[in-house]
Amino acid sequence: MADLAAILLNSLSYVLVLILVALGLVIVFGMMGVINMAHGELFMLGAYTVVAVERTGAPFWAGVLAAPVVVGLVGLVIEWALVRHIYRRTLDTILATWGLSIALKQAVVLVFGPASYSVTAPLQASLTIGDFVYPAYRLLLMAVAVALIALTFLVFLRTDFGLQARAVIARPDTAAGLGIDTRRMYRLSFTIGTAVAGLAGALVAPLISVDPQMGLGYLIPAFLSILVGGAGPLAGVLVGGGVVGGTDSLLTIWLSPVVAQIAVFALAILVIRLRPEGVLGSRR
Amino acid sequence: MSGPRTQAAAAVPLPAGLAVLAGLALVPLAGDYWTDQFARYLLFGLFAMSLSLVWGRAGILCFGQAMFFGLGGYIMAVITMGMAGEWLASSYLGLAVAVAGAALFAGLLGYFLFWGRGLSGPYLAIVTLAIAFILEQSINSWYALGAANGLSGVPPLDLGAFGLSYELWEPAPRFYVLLGIVAVVYVALDRLVASPFGVVLTAVKTNPERAAHFGYQVLWIRLAAFVVGAALAGLAGALFVATDEFASPTLIGFGLSTEVLIWVALGGKEVVLAAFLAAIGVRLVEGVFGELLGDYWILALGLVFMASVVLFPRGLIATALARLPGRRR
Repeated sequence: MADLAAILLNSLSYVLVLILVALGLVIVFGMMGVINMAHGELFMLGAYTVVAVERTGAPFWAGVLAAPVVVGLVGLVIEWALVRHIYRRTLDTILATWGLSIALKQAVVLVFGPASYSVTAPLQASLTIGDFVYPAYRLLLMAVAVALIALTFLVFLRTDFGLQARAVIARPDTAAGLGIDTRRMYRLSFTIGTAVAGLAGALVAPLISVDPQMGLGYLIPAFLSILVGGAGPLAGVLVGGGVVGGTDSLLTIWLSPVVAQIAVFALAILVIRLRPEGVLGSRR
Repeated sequence: MSGPRTQAAAAVPLPAGLAVLAGLALVPLAGDYWTDQFARYLLFGLFAMSLSLVWGRAGILCFGQAMFFGLGGYIMAVITMGMAGEWLASSYLGLAVAVAGAALFAGLLGYFLFWGRGLSGPYLAIVTLAIAFILEQSINSWYALGAANGLSGVPPLDLGAFGLSYELWEPAPRFYVLLGIVAVVYVALDRLVASPFGVVLTAVKTNPERAAHFGYQVLWIRLAAFVVGAALAGLAGALFVATDEFASPTLIGFGLSTEVLIWVALGGKEVVLAAFLAAIGVRLVEGVFGELLGDYWILALGLVFMASVVLFPRGLIATALARLPGRRR
């Protein structure tokens, strides 16, 4: 029983992180038709920000606070230097951001070396209920992730900015005609998306090994989540992330992680093939 | 993106292409080291041509083209090393099964991907990326195939006949045989692109709905291009493994899949010769400057690729070819 609870909680924390990564991706894709293959590397930069901040002797939380700022600024530069030139050239965005992802990965190798780092969790305490013991940091991570996801949804569903953003997603030309500065919306949304990815990377850093290849391990599942859930509605990410992340971590009960991942990818591909509009999407 | 310009850029006259290949015949003068290196570059070039057909001519953005390269390579290794039975260990059989195996796999996979309201564009890219990832992971943990260590000691090509054996391991003869194969494939691809089928391919790529409306079976046309591309990639992989005498999981996965994508995009995906030259060019620059630049090489490659996609969406070499003096633009 206690084992099962731990597995379910681990699975939930993975799902929540996956949703955080996928949210930034889906906003950028839905709004500007940009498929950001470098999104995993922005996630990675968030984790490395924590490593860099900890090196200076500052506490872990300073790194967590710095990560969205640093990565958001990187996102702003990327938007200005690269992404704005290729809006709506979706296939070109895949290639160009792929080049960017290679460059970012290699830049990290040059600065930090190819080896992996481990970040110690700031909370060493555990929650104990009867014979059930669970690390407190993971619980905290989940709470923060839930809050962040809720905040993102609030911003996009309940604020003026969110209304304008959704207008730009639905009808970019009409939105521009009504006086919405689409350029500014694109820039803001891209920056928010990258900042969230950076924050997610920083929060996860104590739970995984921080290395230059870590981005890819989250990028593919995040993309599959989006496609499984449906790229249209924002809520699709919740469903997709739940399905992809949840199946993956539940399968690891019976299967080795490699086999579980293969099985999840295969299942996701099957779902995408049979329902290209996603689980939540409406049939065209 | 489409229209007459596509055709204009695509038309590198066959004699000019053959002249370039003939120029490569001088490589063995540079010594055994470079001959051996160029033998590998040629095969990467062949591999790039296969993606140029699939992506540039048929409009199928396949992020996992190395699946077929690696599959061909492993089939070649398994057969020529006698792992499928000593009596089957023949280079000819290895090549034939490698090409057929890659084609068969592509046929099944392609049918799954394209049938009905098939996947295309970014969806196809992400799904093929995930499939390449799956294959690499599988091979990595498949102990009968050497898992992550790969299969070493793959015998070189044996062009013997009638009981005589002629192992192709000396650099210069091997290079010329490979160059010959590349030349044959190049001519065949050039004719294919110029043939009525090539025109239909362009039609299906440019506007699948209209092509279907004119009565073309879009599914089967896409599938044909995908299968031919996979067969060529399988051939390149099989020859590569026999040249390198080593098959490893890096040949099948994600890394090589994206590398070939970079070569083809850098060169110009619609122009077979440009894709071929870009593969050789990138590899050559890496071979010459790789050691000098060290880790900065990959950084530079990523940035150059990024800039090239933004500024020259049709590819560096193809754009340059289209602007050669005396050519209509």
